[in-house]
Amino acid sequence: MVLREAFDSKIGLLAIVVILLTLPWLLGSFYLYTLSLILVNVIIATGLNLLTGNAGQVSLCSSTFMAIGAYSAMVLNLKFGLTYWLALPLAGLIAAALGFGLGVPALRLRGYYLALATLAFLEIIQIVIQEASTLTGGVRGLLAPRPTFAGFKLNDQSFYYFILVITFLMIYIARNLLNSPLGRAFNAIRNSEAAAQALGISLAQVKVIAFTISAFYAGLAGGLYAPLVGFVDPVEFGLWTSIFHLTMIIVGGLGSLMGSVVGAVVITGLPEWLRGLKEYRDLASGAILLCFLIFMPTGIAGMWGRFHRPLDHISKETEVNGTRS
Amino acid sequence: MKKLLVCTGLILLTTFFIVSEDAHSQQGVTNDSILIGGFGPITGPAAWIGLGARDGINLAIKEINSAGGIQGRKLRLIFEDDAASPSRALAGVKKLVDQDKVFMLFCGAGSNSTVGVIDFVKERKIPMIVSIASAPGVTRPFNKYLFRGGTTEVARYGEIYSDFVTQGLQAEKIAIISGRDEYPKNEADSLTKYLKSWFNIDPVVRVEFNAGDKDFTPQLLEIKKANPEVVAILGHPPEAAIILRQARELGLEQHFFGGAATVDPAVPLNAKFAAEGFTGTFLLPIYLDSKDTDMVKFRQAYKKEYPSHPAGRPNWCDVMAYTDTYVIAEGMKRAGKNLTVDKFISAMETLRDYRVSRIATPRTFTSEHHIGNLRLQPLVVLNGRWVPLAWEPSRPSDVLKKP
Amino acid sequence: MLGLNIQLLVAGLSVGSIYALVALGLVMTYKASDVLNFAQGEILTAGAYIALLFSVTLKFPYYQSFFLTIILISGLGILLERVAFRPLIMAPPFTIIIATLAVGQMIKNLIRLIWQSDVHRLSPPFRMAIWKWQDIRVNTQAVWVIACALIITGILAVFFRSSWLGKAMRSVSQNQQGARLMGISVERVFSLTWAISAALGAAAGILIAPLIGVYPDMGLVLVKAFVASIIGGFTSLAGAVVGGLVVGLIETFSGAYISSTFKEFVAFILLIVLLMFRPYGLFGAKQARRV
Repeated sequence: MVLREAFDSKIGLLAIVVILLTLPWLLGSFYLYTLSLILVNVIIATGLNLLTGNAGQVSLCSSTFMAIGAYSAMVLNLKFGLTYWLALPLAGLIAAALGFGLGVPALRLRGYYLALATLAFLEIIQIVIQEASTLTGGVRGLLAPRPTFAGFKLNDQSFYYFILVITFLMIYIARNLLNSPLGRAFNAIRNSEAAAQALGISLAQVKVIAFTISAFYAGLAGGLYAPLVGFVDPVEFGLWTSIFHLTMIIVGGLGSLMGSVVGAVVITGLPEWLRGLKEYRDLASGAILLCFLIFMPTGIAGMWGRFHRPLDHISKETEVNGTRS
Repeated sequence: MKKLLVCTGLILLTTFFIVSEDAHSQQGVTNDSILIGGFGPITGPAAWIGLGARDGINLAIKEINSAGGIQGRKLRLIFEDDAASPSRALAGVKKLVDQDKVFMLFCGAGSNSTVGVIDFVKERKIPMIVSIASAPGVTRPFNKYLFRGGTTEVARYGEIYSDFVTQGLQAEKIAIISGRDEYPKNEADSLTKYLKSWFNIDPVVRVEFNAGDKDFTPQLLEIKKANPEVVAILGHPPEAAIILRQARELGLEQHFFGGAATVDPAVPLNAKFAAEGFTGTFLLPIYLDSKDTDMVKFRQAYKKEYPSHPAGRPNWCDVMAYTDTYVIAEGMKRAGKNLTVDKFISAMETLRDYRVSRIATPRTFTSEHHIGNLRLQPLVVLNGRWVPLAWEPSRPSDVLKKP
Repeated sequence: MLGLNIQLLVAGLSVGSIYALVALGLVMTYKASDVLNFAQGEILTAGAYIALLFSVTLKFPYYQSFFLTIILISGLGILLERVAFRPLIMAPPFTIIIATLAVGQMIKNLIRLIWQSDVHRLSPPFRMAIWKWQDIRVNTQAVWVIACALIITGILAVFFRSSWLGKAMRSVSQNQQGARLMGISVERVFSLTWAISAALGAAAGILIAPLIGVYPDMGLVLVKAFVASIIGGFTSLAGAVVGGLVVGLIETFSGAYISSTFKEFVAFILLIVLLMFRPYGLFGAKQARRV
């Protein structure tokens, strides 16, 4: 309990920020790389949680929006000569536009049907990426160079800082969103569409907004991911990457901002922790995911919330097990 | 928000520990060991590649170490999974180079993962031998830290395929049916290019299929209409087997030639009689079930080391990695007691037609190129088995000529 | 020209019957327990591999292997239902999707660890022959697959309509509480549903293996089976079969007349179009949404 008070204090907050800022100078390239990947995944998880955890919309195509962001940023930068610093937000907007485009026809769909529609979208975009090979490099992939700033190519440390800033920004936006009327509308829709409508919430608008925002997050993350890894390849953005994203928010906690962060950290780190299992690693990951689904549906954040103070929005139980549609 | 940051910070702290740089005289080399970092897919659909690489390397290391090691040092391997993903490959390589501090890297991964790590490897000046991937970026542009192992250049595939089909099979009308994924696409493009540039022939028809397709009737009917003499199938074993079967069913009597990936026991096994006479080329000079004494010796050693190995192993990746390990061991041996990266590279460049036994193709590296192997062995399916064909290319390779 | 089209028709029906068989299993579980089983493809794969174990490793004759495999995989279906899906009975579709996907992946990984990625061969029940008529050739095995798909559908249709068990399953899918009040053990019905659905998956695997080989990624036909099921509306078994054949035909003809690139797309475009305009399919009934 004393510890908790320490967390809440301003000093604790400052300590965390300082640690995050100094880490790149203390970590070797491997850990810095993993940390940067974690931050990118935090952005994706946050956006996806808004869509699926809060607004309750099933989506299997988060990796697709990430791909759209990654490829858009690289194509704009490499093929059209646009500076990365403009290409990145533009890539996010392109992904958002496609999210909007998907959200509109998806309005009438719920549950399995929505999931299948997002799956179809994923497959179609995969094929488009492969076929548009002059632009995207197709199956051979595309080299994604680090951007330059004032004539200097960003190294691992400076790029990490950039990603860190963007991550904080996106979390901040998400937090404000969740506390706004829009955020409450998300929660209302997840709990009961009919009741939400009765309250005067426009299902159509809110659903489409959720898709658009989540797509923007994923697209932005994709635009950061590309120069971080240095190479984009359509295989990286398949169904299994989407499942990976969903695993992050399931394990972290659906509908919870803290859950997004925790989930991203744990699940991105998971392959590293499970390295020792070698070829049995995938089997273990699947088993872990299944266990979380059956025994801890509210995720880590849910467990935390249960033992500490109640969360500031609707309780975890109804969030996840709400209505079965 | 605060709670959020606090949790993040705590988790990060407990997850990571602070690492400080420690100056080594030569990374990865101690008085009694040399550390090699390997990576490749050991999970996922491409796991047969990485598992083959890992097990092949380990077998070679065991043999080398029990014969006394290299200049008194034992070889050690750390192998990382890349799950056929460039981002994981990069993570694995960063770990191997910066955390585990390996002397050199052994790339048992696919082309995309290889391309994804090349820049980092070059920047860190770590030698890397690329055993299985055929990505052009390994040897072009020339970089002294990168070596190509048993696999060969994409251009060479095109040269040999076109040579074999036109001179060996004596065909002028050639149809190509190829998969859309990376490796078959490279093969198809290369074949088309060399048919034109070397023999001034255009394929009469070129059709594509998707990996995972179960039916190839539309493509085969189109081929049938074009009436070629030889049909080249460039793809993977499951599709190749179905294509062969359906082709015979639809009445195509032509001769079929397959890309290197189709030379697999699964093809004659599944296509049965339809695969008789199917030709292809292979990266090893003798086939895996050959009675050649060197291959028999290898298989016995493999069985002894891995008594419970699954059926279908060792596969050609096992053999490639095994022979490539001997290649780098030879390089290390020639570099002498005071092993450094530069000495190793110079030593490798003295290799001329080196191979550990007949199960490997001969390797040559010079200070101008690090393309080890330019040979492919033609094989044909006879009575359900792949047997070697005596055939030599009609002209020498242009691959080494390019600037 | 006509010959070409008839040959394409035969090819389309033959690949479509593969989709149809997988779709049957999908629709079964959905109809009875509201679960869209994303692991159905892996159950198919498991069926093919177990049959491989019996017929190639243990050298049992064909029909014995077939029978034993069906029994074993039905058991697997019951096990999965008990261990993984019964605890999730009240969970939202999202959780079910991830859970079934996770289970499917685990099955596939296990298969890959034991058998590696090589393509194995499963013999057909009779030697493959080619029927020739004018210029048209048909593989007898393909005909056998189509015939089996139709026969199985017929048997299932009769089963659901007339047998006591079939009626019990229908009542459970319509109203669980009501069924319980009637004395029907809902749990037993679920187990049985999964057993039959798994058996269907295994049968599909065994039937199609001689045509495509046995390898760990066999189950990727599932996506096409989804399209087939949607055409049928997810509630009609006959619809699933028709759906599968339709998908096969559309793919084959667009591959021939448009391009093979388009062939890749067409199933997914069809899926989206159907979902947008007729989510309940051509045969399914519009389901009332409980509020």
